[in-house]
Amino acid sequence: MPSAVSAGPWMRIRGLTKSFAGELALDHADLDIERGKVHGLVGANGAGKSTLIRCLAGVTLADEGSVTVSGEDLQKGSPRASEQAGLAFIHQELNLIPHFNALQNMLLGAPKVTRFGIIDWQRSGVAARAAAERVGIRFPLETKVSELSVAQRWLVMISKALVRDASMIAMDEPTASLSGPESEQLFAIIRDLSAQGVAILYVSHRLEEVLQLCDRITVLRDGRIVDAAERGALDKKGLVRAIIGHDIRPPDERARFATNRSRQPILSVRDIAWKSAVKGVRFDLYPGEVLALGGLVGAGRTELAHLMAGVTRPDAGHFELDGKRLDIANEAQAIRAGIALVPEERRSQGVMLQQSVGFNINISTLKKLRAVPGLPFVSDRKARRQAEGLVARLGIKTPSVKTKIGGLSGGNQQKALIARWLNAGTKLLILDEPSRGVDVGAREEIHDAIRALARSGVGILAISSDVEELTLLADRVLVMREGRITGELTGADITEARIIELSYHDANDEEGNIA
Amino acid sequence: MMVQAGTAAKDAPPLRKSSWKRTALIWLSRYGTIVGLLLMVVFFSANAPGIFLSRANFLNILSQASLTAIIASGLTYTLVVGEFDLSIGYVASFVGLIVTGLMAYQGFPISLSIVCALLLGAAIGAFNGVLVTKVRINAVISTLGVGTMLTGIGFTYSSFPIATGIPRPFTDIALGRLVFGLPNPVIIMVIVLIVLWVILNKTDVGQKMQAVGSNLEAARLSGIRVDRIKIFAFATAGFCAALTGTLLSSLLGSGTLAAADGYLLDAFAAVFLGSATLREGEFHISGTLIGVLILAVGFNGLSIFGAPTHFQPIFKGAILVLAVGMSALARRYAASA
Repeated sequence: MPSAVSAGPWMRIRGLTKSFAGELALDHADLDIERGKVHGLVGANGAGKSTLIRCLAGVTLADEGSVTVSGEDLQKGSPRASEQAGLAFIHQELNLIPHFNALQNMLLGAPKVTRFGIIDWQRSGVAARAAAERVGIRFPLETKVSELSVAQRWLVMISKALVRDASMIAMDEPTASLSGPESEQLFAIIRDLSAQGVAILYVSHRLEEVLQLCDRITVLRDGRIVDAAERGALDKKGLVRAIIGHDIRPPDERARFATNRSRQPILSVRDIAWKSAVKGVRFDLYPGEVLALGGLVGAGRTELAHLMAGVTRPDAGHFELDGKRLDIANEAQAIRAGIALVPEERRSQGVMLQQSVGFNINISTLKKLRAVPGLPFVSDRKARRQAEGLVARLGIKTPSVKTKIGGLSGGNQQKALIARWLNAGTKLLILDEPSRGVDVGAREEIHDAIRALARSGVGILAISSDVEELTLLADRVLVMREGRITGELTGADITEARIIELSYHDANDEEGNIA
Repeated sequence: MMVQAGTAAKDAPPLRKSSWKRTALIWLSRYGTIVGLLLMVVFFSANAPGIFLSRANFLNILSQASLTAIIASGLTYTLVVGEFDLSIGYVASFVGLIVTGLMAYQGFPISLSIVCALLLGAAIGAFNGVLVTKVRINAVISTLGVGTMLTGIGFTYSSFPIATGIPRPFTDIALGRLVFGLPNPVIIMVIVLIVLWVILNKTDVGQKMQAVGSNLEAARLSGIRVDRIKIFAFATAGFCAALTGTLLSSLLGSGTLAAADGYLLDAFAAVFLGSATLREGEFHISGTLIGVLILAVGFNGLSIFGAPTHFQPIFKGAILVLAVGMSALARRYAASA
């Protein structure tokens, strides 16, 4: 029997189908996976990528279809069977135990050498140390995971898969929280593993990466596989068309708004410093413009956003809003002054998942929705009308405002979080990674909404680690490095190359900052 | 190819079965408690028609339920904001002792004693809230600590039950029937439930409480003063506990140490039963009422059928475990739906 199948692909997925509540999430997907190849899996949110992965992992039970590994049927709906077949899965959330060290995490659930029931970490760790060496881990494996960077945690997860002798490693959005060089390091490891005969299933929204890294690309749309191509057969434009079903406007057709510096700034940031993360930042934000903040992960951008939104208080420096000095003690005060933050972590800091779309939109404007001014009663009618108006204005796709927000796609959840601030008297909206984990189509809609907001006079500060996004969205770009602003780009200077350059080198070491 | 078609056909029936099972489980997790309550009523009515199915017995059930309902609806608030309050039983006992003491020892008039008692309860609750939000002590620990301290302080205040010197009109409060011939505690319960329901569902504060319970960080970033909201929830729980304690003293005609301690478990069982009612694991006032009624009807049935009194804790404990289990199941199905 094994000799008969050795000619076929290592893993053969046939007619895999799964529906949730009558909706087909995965519709008769066929896919072959070969060892030693990097397989890219792309598609919009809700296209069925995660369902496919979850079915392979045995976390979700497929309704129909079969998966064979080396010619043998894989038992469906059993995570244990999937693991024994050599399949490893690294999800975006990185299922690591923060207060265990790297070694303990790698060996979690793996057999260990014990003496009288006591674990001998030294001897148990042999395989783990070999795996760590294979992926080039340089930090001591006794380091607690909570002290590791996101990139280092990825290395731990990959080593964990190698300890289990995985033949295939599926990775979900590995570069979403990695900086440029960290991503490059990961790609090198992936190529290495692939050369050693490991199959890689690479899921990402970042199409350049996929095009650059993957030997074969499969595109999912609405649960169906709509395209599958070998390396070189697809370019980015073709990939985008396959994902969303139509073209998007090329970035060079977009007009950038020219910042008018003779007007009074909405917000002036004056020598703000906080711990070692933000080292005296100074800039102005003008009406009508989308000001974007670029730089590597850890450059101090999120920390700066938190200082502006009142999450933390600066050690030094101050803010001026509409020319008046402003002290912000907490989030509520910042919001009252007109500064709001759409945070980086949508699920843990943004949406209230089990509440409705309307509830999520209205929560920041309850006072305006009172039935009778002065009395604390919220008018259901006013609340529904406001939510429905904002849903229509931002094109949020939801069956109704009463639908629980958890049922919406990431892009629509993000739009609802922006909607939260549209009637709240917001003067300055800070968006931290506005399109993280959102598909290309939704990203464009979010960008349109942000731009419209800026033109209407709301100040916009957008933070993104996605260099392409910065070039698409920004009218003016500030780049941060190690807590300082290292340069400013406007107009035609806003290119990926310039942004990356400034992320690593200080353009004006003398002055340090841009006023 | 043949093999493939075969496996596909073989796989089809389990799908239908499993989704049918799912629908049934979701239905059960929403309406199971109400069905359970109705089944109990039908069963007791059929087997003890003369005793169970009478106006007098129903009023008896309701007045027993009313004290639990009041304390449990206050507890609901702390659970809505994602916290815990293990002190409520002790607060009720303590306040029950103090309210009689104020009349008997300090010679306060009835109305002033009651006002002081209720404010004291709210203040203890607010103190719990400050410990949890400002000092950041885990709610289980801080409320257990405060509750235990209250027991000791109560003992210091009066080491024996206060039975003499309590004016008659005070005991009439719980025993009287001012409206529609309904016992007063039932009327007070109805008012408390309505007020708490309106605050939770129709006001700013209520929406903010739900936001805080759903996602603390998101609530903070939406400009909600989450600490204040939590303190308000704890203060409400303390107030409701004080009200239950006061009514119990009035009912017993005395202030007794540890008299209301047992309400803690009843309240938790009721609130968790309620969270598995109509909604998927969310805490809400009407659910809490259903939970209280299940307990009251159950206890009533047990005593009608002459079950030994030690059956009561067995029933109570079993209901608590069942309720928390159902609540967790409901939440899990809501998450996977």
